[in-house]
Amino acid sequence: MKQEAFQQYTDQDLTILGLFIFVTFFVGLLFWVYRRTQAPHYKYMSQIPLEGEQKS
Amino acid sequence: MNQSSQEKFVYYDDDIVKKFLWAVVVWGAVAMLAGILAALQLAWWPANMGLEWITFGRLRPLHTNAAIFAFAGNTIFAGIYHSSQRLLRARMFNDGLSKIHFWGWQLIIVLAALTLPFGFTTGKEYAELEWPIDISIAVIWVVFAVNLFGTIAKRKERHLYVAIWFYIATVITVAVLHIVNSLAIPVAFLKSYPIWAGIQDGLIQWWYGHNAVAFFLTTPFLGLMYYYVPKIVNRPVYSYRLSIIHFWALVFLYIWAGPHHLLYTALPDWAQTLGMIFSLMLWAPSWGGMINGLLTLRGVWHLLRTEPTVKFLVAAVTFYGMSTFEGPLMSIKAVNSLAHYTDWVVGHAHAGALGWNGFMAFGMLYYLVPKLWNTKLYSVKMANTHFWLGLSGVLLYYVSMLAAGITQGLMWRAIDSQGHLVYPDFVETVRAIQPLFWVRLLSGLLYYVGFIMMIRNLIATVKGAPATAPAEKVTEPVTAGHDLSNEKGHRKLEGLATVFTVLALIAILVGSIIEIYPLINISKYVEPAKMPQPLTALELAGRDVYIKEGCYVCHSQMIRKMSSDVLRYGPASTIGESMYDRPFQWGSKRSGPDLARVGGKYPNLWHYRHMVDPRSTTQGSLMPPYAWLGTNDADFMSLRKKLSAMKALGVPYTDDMVANADGAAQADAKKIAEDLAANGAPAGLEKTELVALIAYLQSLGKKGGQ
Repeated sequence: MKQEAFQQYTDQDLTILGLFIFVTFFVGLLFWVYRRTQAPHYKYMSQIPLEGEQKS
Repeated sequence: MNQSSQEKFVYYDDDIVKKFLWAVVVWGAVAMLAGILAALQLAWWPANMGLEWITFGRLRPLHTNAAIFAFAGNTIFAGIYHSSQRLLRARMFNDGLSKIHFWGWQLIIVLAALTLPFGFTTGKEYAELEWPIDISIAVIWVVFAVNLFGTIAKRKERHLYVAIWFYIATVITVAVLHIVNSLAIPVAFLKSYPIWAGIQDGLIQWWYGHNAVAFFLTTPFLGLMYYYVPKIVNRPVYSYRLSIIHFWALVFLYIWAGPHHLLYTALPDWAQTLGMIFSLMLWAPSWGGMINGLLTLRGVWHLLRTEPTVKFLVAAVTFYGMSTFEGPLMSIKAVNSLAHYTDWVVGHAHAGALGWNGFMAFGMLYYLVPKLWNTKLYSVKMANTHFWLGLSGVLLYYVSMLAAGITQGLMWRAIDSQGHLVYPDFVETVRAIQPLFWVRLLSGLLYYVGFIMMIRNLIATVKGAPATAPAEKVTEPVTAGHDLSNEKGHRKLEGLATVFTVLALIAILVGSIIEIYPLINISKYVEPAKMPQPLTALELAGRDVYIKEGCYVCHSQMIRKMSSDVLRYGPASTIGESMYDRPFQWGSKRSGPDLARVGGKYPNLWHYRHMVDPRSTTQGSLMPPYAWLGTNDADFMSLRKKLSAMKALGVPYTDDMVANADGAAQADAKKIAEDLAANGAPAGLEKTELVALIAYLQSLGKKGGQ
């Protein structure tokens, strides 16, 4: 199955590179986003659309 | 600075938003009307009316372009111009650029409406517009980008709300997709050949095509969702963290998913598998996003009973969830083998377009028109009726096409105990689902009646508005936000729009390059001994007629590696066979049979009769008659230029073949015309497009490359 899927694939290095970029990126992103210290910041961010405008 | 005596104000430019809103209404009406006519043509062929300009093959690209780039496009721009100013607390960068963007985009739409019916098309789905219009699109897109980034640069809110991220990703990715997919060599004012050929063109076209869905119909609309849903229900988004994951996951994953449009084709297996796996991974962020949108209503679900705006938005986000569940499902190879080329795909596309994009647009319109004109909606009751008509329309559309698609897909693959096809006649499988085309027409009419009611409602709302609406403004400078110098990490990243933009660009380029690069050198996939013969000059002229009439809209040229396909159409198509095809014509829908090996299957006369009156050869066919092909003169004079362009792109034509292209074509045409006349067709057809087209059809599958 694996051999079949790759029978026409000649750039093996790209698969490793792709996997590396992919895993690093998402693991890093999850840690980054879910840091606890950021709670006040996210609260601030989520309020941005709700601030009203005045009319004149 | 913030004492009231020193207060300055920023006034938002809402005129431009109003302009885009009217454009949404006008082009929506046009796009859906074209869709209804197309639906009628499939149910009842005489609705093609024998008019070449609105026959299905030319009308369908007009419908899709109008729906995507005119209706959805103007929706995006209206929403972005309205919400960006408020989220960034700044007026748009330059009012002149806003106006150039608006009028430029409308001009492009008008040019599309003027060229597509006359058969000026590249033959690449959702990218049919010819090169001068493509260049205009790029220019206007840059104007839009400068205007948006200029506004971001002068913003008074330090932090970029997640909706702005989605807008930035849209701007950069659409630019990359449009430019790469549209690269072409012009051979006339409104005719060009793509620099990509065959399998490369296929991969790049669907990398573009699927990401037009992702970055034109999804990310900008998600930006709108992240602004309008919280705004309208007056609740912050359910989880801001989730919205960040949603964003990066979509931007990173979507770009890889294109090959799921090419499963079981000649595309190498590794690319198919890659496309399928990344499509499956999209389940997670898509549903995360849907849940994030819906749970924003926590505590205020009662608004769903009273507010038509909320009804539309909630239904839209629900359709987003349904479509993004179904999409990955259909990318699973086993499911795709049934769904591909059938009306199931059409149903899926319309659940997205009508349910997600359409309902988002309507929700936004019902919110913005009263707000911008400083009044109340003329009739809530009418808006509610619109909602229920629209919802019934989408559901009926989806269910009818799902049933039609699965029915036809099962009939195509039905094989009896002897190993023969149970329904060897393609037309049998068409007749079986024809009643469902009428149901689809009805569903379109329901949706359209609702849409017309909305127009009436909005016009009455504006008419009843006070003559002068006060302009919206915010105090300047805004105290909110922090000084960037004290920030670190992701916070600083959000503040640095340029760095952010570069990161988003890298995210989309990683997938694009890793997926496309291995196919750039096509020679490793085709052995020199198995290279096909290039088309003769007459066949090339016929191919251009095939493209002009939009034959690819209903006929594929790609026999999949599946027993039922091989039994019905012959050996599976190979990479070599289409390696000179510019553009590739593998197709995406079989309303008629595959044509990859139709060459030599029927005599010339059969094709003549079939084109003039399809039902004279195929009882029950839904194909429109193409009688004008028998009277229109074929364009032989441009053939030298065309062959020379093809030669420059690497097709092995000799200098002699280029120099004598028109003479050779005329000589070949004469032979076919004589054969036709000898068998009972009218004499004197040698100059017609029909003869060129017959030459091309007879060459399909006969050029080697297997």
